[in-house]
Amino acid sequence: MIKITNLEKVYRTEEVETVALNKLSLEVKEGEFVSVMGPSGCGKSTLLNILGLLDDPDKGSFIFNEVEVAGFNERKRADMRKHNIGFVFQSFNLIDELTVFENVELPLIYTGVKSAERKEKVEKVLDKMQIMHRRNHYPQQLSGGQQQRVAVARAVVNNPKLILADEPTGNLDSSNGNEVMQLLTELNEQGTTIIMVTHSEHDSRYSHRIIRMLDGQTVTENILV
Amino acid sequence: MFRNYFVIAIRNLLKNKGFTFINISGLAVGMACAILIMLWVESELTFDGFHENRDRIYEAWNRDSFSGELQCWSVTPKVLAKYIREDFPEVQDVVRVDWGANYLFSYKDKRIKEDGNIVDSGFFNMFTFKLLKGDKKTALNGSYNIVLSESFAKKIFGNEDPMGKILKVENSDNFTVTGIMEDAPDNTRFKYKYLIPWSYARLKGNDDENWGNNSTRSYVLLKPNASIESLQTKFKDIRKKHDNEAGTGEMFLYPMSRWRLYSNFTNGKEDGGLINMVQLFIIIASFILLIACINFMNLSTARSEKRAREVGIRKVVGARRIGLIGQFISESILLALLGGILSIGIVLLALPGFNKLADKALFIDFTNGWYWMAFFMVVIITGLLAGSYPAFFLSAFNPVKVLKGLKQQANKIITPRKVLVVLQFTFAIVLIVATIVIRKQIGYAQARQSGYDKNNLMYHFLTGDLEKNYDLLRNDLLQENIASSVTKTSSPLTESWSNSWGMEWEGKDPNDKTLFNRFYADNQIVKTAGMEIIKGRDFDLNTYKTDSFAILVNEAAVKAMGMKDPIGKIIRDNGAEWTIIGLVKDFIIESPYKNVNPMLIEGAGGWFNVINIRYQTGSNMQSNIKKTEALFKKYNSEYPFEYKFVDDDYAAKFANEKKTGTMATVFAILTIFISCLGLFGLSTFMAENRVKEIGIRKILGSSITGIVGLLSKEFMILVGISFIIATPLAWLAMGKLLDQFTYRIDLSLDLFIYAGLGALLIALATISFQAVKAAVANPVRSLRSE
Repeated sequence: MIKITNLEKVYRTEEVETVALNKLSLEVKEGEFVSVMGPSGCGKSTLLNILGLLDDPDKGSFIFNEVEVAGFNERKRADMRKHNIGFVFQSFNLIDELTVFENVELPLIYTGVKSAERKEKVEKVLDKMQIMHRRNHYPQQLSGGQQQRVAVARAVVNNPKLILADEPTGNLDSSNGNEVMQLLTELNEQGTTIIMVTHSEHDSRYSHRIIRMLDGQTVTENILV
Repeated sequence: MFRNYFVIAIRNLLKNKGFTFINISGLAVGMACAILIMLWVESELTFDGFHENRDRIYEAWNRDSFSGELQCWSVTPKVLAKYIREDFPEVQDVVRVDWGANYLFSYKDKRIKEDGNIVDSGFFNMFTFKLLKGDKKTALNGSYNIVLSESFAKKIFGNEDPMGKILKVENSDNFTVTGIMEDAPDNTRFKYKYLIPWSYARLKGNDDENWGNNSTRSYVLLKPNASIESLQTKFKDIRKKHDNEAGTGEMFLYPMSRWRLYSNFTNGKEDGGLINMVQLFIIIASFILLIACINFMNLSTARSEKRAREVGIRKVVGARRIGLIGQFISESILLALLGGILSIGIVLLALPGFNKLADKALFIDFTNGWYWMAFFMVVIITGLLAGSYPAFFLSAFNPVKVLKGLKQQANKIITPRKVLVVLQFTFAIVLIVATIVIRKQIGYAQARQSGYDKNNLMYHFLTGDLEKNYDLLRNDLLQENIASSVTKTSSPLTESWSNSWGMEWEGKDPNDKTLFNRFYADNQIVKTAGMEIIKGRDFDLNTYKTDSFAILVNEAAVKAMGMKDPIGKIIRDNGAEWTIIGLVKDFIIESPYKNVNPMLIEGAGGWFNVINIRYQTGSNMQSNIKKTEALFKKYNSEYPFEYKFVDDDYAAKFANEKKTGTMATVFAILTIFISCLGLFGLSTFMAENRVKEIGIRKILGSSITGIVGLLSKEFMILVGISFIIATPLAWLAMGKLLDQFTYRIDLSLDLFIYAGLGALLIALATISFQAVKAAVANPVRSLRSE
């Protein structure tokens, strides 16, 4: 599903040049659940952003669903992203001014789903995440675990092929964290590919494979399954 | 999609009530200004634009050279109309419209004096005024026919049908009402309560064939398809063809579309006019609106951090930049719409005052679709203008960065805003300077010596029998000790009705075309008016019968005639010889802003329209008026007693400049208000963003004043830069404004410094509220929140 070859990314400010990815190569098959680990600044977030088509690599090849997407313009990337990829963040990133329902509905609006169908899909996913009773609440009225479940609901409402999770349990206590990991596992079992950046060895054990990074390169791979 | 935009926009507005208030009220005030000025501009641009024949209507104008300079004027001889008809087959009709009449109308026991005019009978065929009753073609055919305006007819006849009724005019002639015309709209120069046919003037001996007597306006209607260019070349010489004394005098036809806005002539060429005012006002309105938009831009972009996460999320779930731009622009249009609705309320509240100021009867016609179109145009333009920059700014956020919560540097965000603040305050300072300059100029001219005593001086026009009974009335006024002195004159002391270059004296250069004001007074004018005699004496008919043909001159006249010792010299004017008996100090009869023109006051042998009464100083004015009224009723019982005081009329000479001054003040206040709203918002943002810095500084020992100073300093520098930019701009503009006055103040730097200091203080007051609030906050609390 994903094939990355010799990917490079360099960030420049006025004084400093930081190499975030250094000729990184990687392959992820459909249906896999992969963890990416490594110390701060090793490039794992950059990798996730490129995988999520939020950022463009400087060099190298990135084949997603058999299409070369490196060098895609903003419009093509947005198009590819909204149909195929869901995101879950550490800090949930819900829009405060929108209710639970409206937050989850957002990706459907951008993919042009009709209103009645949107309602049906959102309700179904809220039901699945067991937060249907909170549909008209605003994010600040929810606990952290509930907020993250809303964020997961938003990530999967469009039935994406790939979910990218950036430390999804980082802001949660262990029981809420486990709940979220359980959710991700279920999604994976239903066929969704998941790539997760994490600092938590505990969380990484939910995945099939752990990729460890250092200085913009993969150093080891552990196959868990 | 739009529902989603709408929902989030409304929730954002409600959540940040302070910013919403600043944005909407700023936009509303800006838009209200724009709407008021657009209404005014519309009324000026459509002035006399409703005449169906407007493309074929022209006014006959003169052009002649005086002292090497070409002058243009629109008053023509009465006989001109006849020759235009005879000479030019391409002309369909010529209509003369006289100076205007103010007649007394009597019906049953009603007595009403009203303004109207005497016109040629083709008036209704040339100009588009609706006749509600009567026939346009024949209404003005008979010499004793009269057409009344609807409201005037109602005033006289109440609910009776006016058609065919007999009206007594000036207590002597009976007129038959042959037409009722719809009341003229506000935006026409032909606003009359009644029209009387020219043939009546002829019967009364008020028509002449004298080419030297420029005394009426002549309007020309061309036939359809007639060429104006070829007509102009022939028309030029019409004076020379029929008038042996035409000299260099030429004539031209001036098209209706130019009358209102462009009819300022300098050296024979059009040189602006009201159009300059229209343009100036459009510029001012645009600037005020722009300033309100700048506020919006400043506040939305300064607060961008709060929206950044939303932008990031939307991008992550698939929004494209163009979609986000659309979202933010529709948000600003929504805000502009709210502001627009509020602005209509402001306009409705402000219209009465604005109308008074602009001397108009403007109103919003809510049934007119064009008005709504214009309104929505203003809303959309405002929304686009205000929203475009924030939209591009906000939509450019990199989702990766904003979702990581990377904070943008507050200073980095504020920098482009600074330019906008400078722009706002530059404009504000220019307007403050304008306000000060105009007020000073008016004060300066008001303090100017008028050269006569305006107080306790009343005048009344010689209506009805007053001229006949003048001597009796004067005697009674003096005998009963009501007045200390009474004089009749050709015009009020505040107006000059007649001038000429035709006077002759010994040694006059035949090419000298200096214009002299011509004024008539019968007796004791110096005493009545309280003028100052420099040499010689006042008119004194009781002692010197020959004073009927005596003449008083002012200093400017003596200078213009180049006389060393004027007393006893002879001046020939209008076929009579007048002997100079006195020299009076220059006094202001025309504009207090101009030099006093040469003036001749000719004696009792002249013609008279006004009675001037000087009351005893210190006497009770109320009882004076009562006693005077009783005498007027005795000698002129049919006519109403309509007196005026000279000092009121003199004060009215400043009315226009005072209006300009008020306008400048209003605009200055509005600009400052809107700019301060923006500044307040910006300083709030700055203070919020520097909470941590302020906390650390306080813990390290900074004082409250130190922190207030720190937060205020930057804005003070901006106002300082504005001052530096504004000063030369204002200097140029004000210099140009003052150039139109001969008697004027000089610009001095202190005036600009006052304006700059004023702006600085206002800005400081605005900022200090937030600065002090931030400075006194407990640092422990602000640091713990990290």
